[in-house]
Amino acid sequence: MILVGIAYNTLVVAAGVAAVGFAAGVVGALCVLRKRALVGDAAAHATLVGVACSFLITGRRDLATLLAGALVAAFVGLGTLVLMRRFTRTRDDAATAIVIGVSFGLGIALVSGLPAWGYAESAGLEQFLLGHTAGLTASDAALLAGVAVLAVAAVAAGLKEATLVAFDAAFAAASGWPVAVIDYLLVALVAVMVVAGLPAVGAVLVTALVVIPPVTARYWTERVGSMLVLSGCLGLAAAVVGVAVSAGRPGLATGPLVVLAAAAFFTVSFLFAPRRGWIAQRLAAARMSREWLQDRAEHARDPGGMPPAMFPDGEPHP
Amino acid sequence: MTPSVAHVPIVEFHDVTVAYGRRPVVWNVDLAIDAPCLFGIIGPNGAGKSTLLKAALGLVPMVGGSVRFFGAPLDRVRSRVGYVPQRETVDWDFPVNVMDVVLMGTYGRLGWFRRPGGHERRLAAESLDRVGLADMADRQIGKLSGGQQQRVFLARALAQQADIYLLDEPMAGVDVRSQESIFRVLAELKREGRLVIVVHHDLRTAAQWFDRVALVDRRLVATGPTAATLTPENLNRTYAGQIEVLDELARAVAARGRTP
Amino acid sequence: MMGGDFTWLGPNPGIHGWAMATAAVVSASCALVGSLLVVRRMSLLGDAIGHAVLPGIAVAVLAGGRLGGPLVFFGAVAAALLTVWLTQALRAAGGPAEDAGAGVVFTTLFAIGVVIVAMAPAGTHLDAACVLHGELAFLPFDTITLAGLPVPRAFASGVVAFLGLAVAAAATWKLQVFTAFDAAAARAAGLPVAALTMGLLAATAIATVSSFDAVGAVLVVAMLVTPAAAAELLTRRLHRMVLVAIVLAVVGACLGYLAAWRLNTSAAGMIAVVLGIEYAIAAVIAPDDGLLARLAGRISLAWRVTCEDRLAEAWRAEEAKRPHAPAATLIESCGAWWLSRTGQIVRAADGPRLSPSGRREAETVVRSHRLWEAWLGRHAELPVDHLHPPAEWVEHHLGAAMRQRLEAETGGRDSDPHGREIPPEA
Repeated sequence: MILVGIAYNTLVVAAGVAAVGFAAGVVGALCVLRKRALVGDAAAHATLVGVACSFLITGRRDLATLLAGALVAAFVGLGTLVLMRRFTRTRDDAATAIVIGVSFGLGIALVSGLPAWGYAESAGLEQFLLGHTAGLTASDAALLAGVAVLAVAAVAAGLKEATLVAFDAAFAAASGWPVAVIDYLLVALVAVMVVAGLPAVGAVLVTALVVIPPVTARYWTERVGSMLVLSGCLGLAAAVVGVAVSAGRPGLATGPLVVLAAAAFFTVSFLFAPRRGWIAQRLAAARMSREWLQDRAEHARDPGGMPPAMFPDGEPHP
Repeated sequence: MTPSVAHVPIVEFHDVTVAYGRRPVVWNVDLAIDAPCLFGIIGPNGAGKSTLLKAALGLVPMVGGSVRFFGAPLDRVRSRVGYVPQRETVDWDFPVNVMDVVLMGTYGRLGWFRRPGGHERRLAAESLDRVGLADMADRQIGKLSGGQQQRVFLARALAQQADIYLLDEPMAGVDVRSQESIFRVLAELKREGRLVIVVHHDLRTAAQWFDRVALVDRRLVATGPTAATLTPENLNRTYAGQIEVLDELARAVAARGRTP
Repeated sequence: MMGGDFTWLGPNPGIHGWAMATAAVVSASCALVGSLLVVRRMSLLGDAIGHAVLPGIAVAVLAGGRLGGPLVFFGAVAAALLTVWLTQALRAAGGPAEDAGAGVVFTTLFAIGVVIVAMAPAGTHLDAACVLHGELAFLPFDTITLAGLPVPRAFASGVVAFLGLAVAAAATWKLQVFTAFDAAAARAAGLPVAALTMGLLAATAIATVSSFDAVGAVLVVAMLVTPAAAAELLTRRLHRMVLVAIVLAVVGACLGYLAAWRLNTSAAGMIAVVLGIEYAIAAVIAPDDGLLARLAGRISLAWRVTCEDRLAEAWRAEEAKRPHAPAATLIESCGAWWLSRTGQIVRAADGPRLSPSGRREAETVVRSHRLWEAWLGRHAELPVDHLHPPAEWVEHHLGAAMRQRLEAETGGRDSDPHGREIPPEA
């Protein structure tokens, strides 16, 4: 009886984490298309402060409370970035690095200090650094899955607007779309996904969950819709594989395993994808130069004929 | 488009000054266009021609003055204004095909959350046909030549069904044959009673195609019918004008001080 | 080993002194390298390297190296160069552009590093917590003997690293400055830009690994970027920026350590926090761009403009023989009060009048205004009645030399396009 209960719990947790992986892949794909791949990193490192403060203020350690604090901290971190861009000369890359380093330092300082300050039960907060799914309950997983579903629904609703802004923001703005608002919404969505990914992957590595699956998916498709879906599936697969492997080895944090799974998918795609993969491109280049040389040879034999066709559609490429 | 009432210009720039940050780059431009025509904005590199266009569209803030379309601010008549931006702003590796891009021109009228339907697809197909790219609808945009890419952008603008079109350097990096076909489409638009404003850099084709021009080098130098405006004296003032005064002043204004 | 860093140490000044000195010297190395990273907009690459050296360090330690020893330095540099090479190779092979490619590479390498560390046999001198935030408080106990004195290994290697980096920076200084300012021009001038960049990245790896056992892999980015960014706000000259960054870094490291001791928490975390506070202070007090400076600049400009406008209005009222328009807003009233205090406007029976000094000042403003109208009327296509508004705000920004040029360029006319006389230069 107990064994069945344990297995059920593991399955539910895996389903919850899988949902988060899927949603993170989808949201991350929009971010990568919008060329803002690392915006989640600043949010992610700030979440630790939120988790610690949430615990300090409320004294509760349930996932919903801690993640709520994490979300607030993520928004504060992103807000700090906006303020720095507006009021200082510091450039974006340095500002992002500062927010990452200082907020993470504050988070570490808070979490490290808890035992010394008399909080005996604080030890669990460290799990948010590199991810640890073993402690998740079924209701936690349900919460995460709910957030994931909402995020995907939001993307589906606003896909047309997000694609328009990602492809040509100037045209979108001139057509009257509120580009800044759409961008803020996207960043907010990334912050939500980063927070939802904390239990599985941890603050330090969760940014990989929103960056690696989209980048991988790009190798397999030339349409936005399928790229998003494929990215979601890859995120889901990486999350499931990572959780499964870490379940077998309790000493190992989940986060690195999820990242390694995603990286494995990336490497395979990078090498073997048809048309965009590295091998396919080498072969295509070799074939094109072979054909060109053949054309040249034929032209040399028959000078009165047409000059060799350099480009298939008759016009020079940009 | 109904014939414009004589005293309301189609487009009116009133004392427009545009700055990047605090540094003015275009000074006090006053320009009114009353009738549909093919209108060129000509000037050297860095003259602020594109900046002027972007300011009119609200993409870059104006620190002084205003731009009105049909006598109203842009926000009230957005659906009547179409924009073809420069090609460099776009990532051509983006996973969309030609039809996807042209359909984006219909999004303005669709509004939030509605998906393009049969009517929009027919409109997009017609626009593609008009620029001669009907058989390229399924191609990923990175696989097109420069001239074809520009024509896709033009088709997207046509799908907006606007009364005023603003094009930013549409002929940059485009081969001569495509340039001619693009100009022909623009001339058709003019004949249909629309106003077409083009930021352009080549004087020879300007003299050949535009009805009216404005010469701009950080300020409006001269404007009027093409033949009357493209005089040696005006061209000299535009292209060889000694106006470092404006640059020094721009620096002083940006630093919130005085020039020496 | 989270928490309780200090409880068992007690108030032992010798230990704390060494720990602070170690923190200071590694922080200085990071600030030195970080200045160049920030100026060349490579801060995120610094973050990436900070993460990505982990597998290099882990492999080196497993192969028998000691933290702070040469094998570990070598492993770190190799990992850093691997990161950069992979990122560039990805982009060249048509892979993800810019940040996305770096994101893929450094998170993967970091994950590999964590897994290696986790699977290392027990007793290896590395654990996951150490990786994330270092263990500064324990460093002083790992000593080597130099000239008869027990010196913490981390301090010794930190000093060696700092001296090496300082020498390398000084030797290549001019090249670094040129490349930082304009990499394309440097390449065109034949400078070995690629080698310099690789050198900078190797230096980043060295600074990272020397800080590694003090602050771990993730917080090193705070030490690399924050003091340098704060210094960038305080000064615009690169060599001064490096010095200021090093000073800020050393002060931040010491204060951070002391704060951590007092609050009984992670030294690395508190150092990062203190560095962040330093940055915030710099953002407020910076001489040209700081918040206070900008506010002061705006206020002083508004004040000057108001006073000049009041004087010009008085002069025009005199010229047109009409009454002087009274002050309408609060700031105008303040301006009017100040002008009468400084004697530029005197109250007479028939209303306010300009004193000689006030008249000179007013004529300068009106002269600027009308010269600008004349110039603009000549060089731009503007109707005559549209010349006044631009001149209204330009008049406050014209100095004597500029007025001379305008006069020359308008052919020395003495009346503006409205036909009004241009007052002569005072």
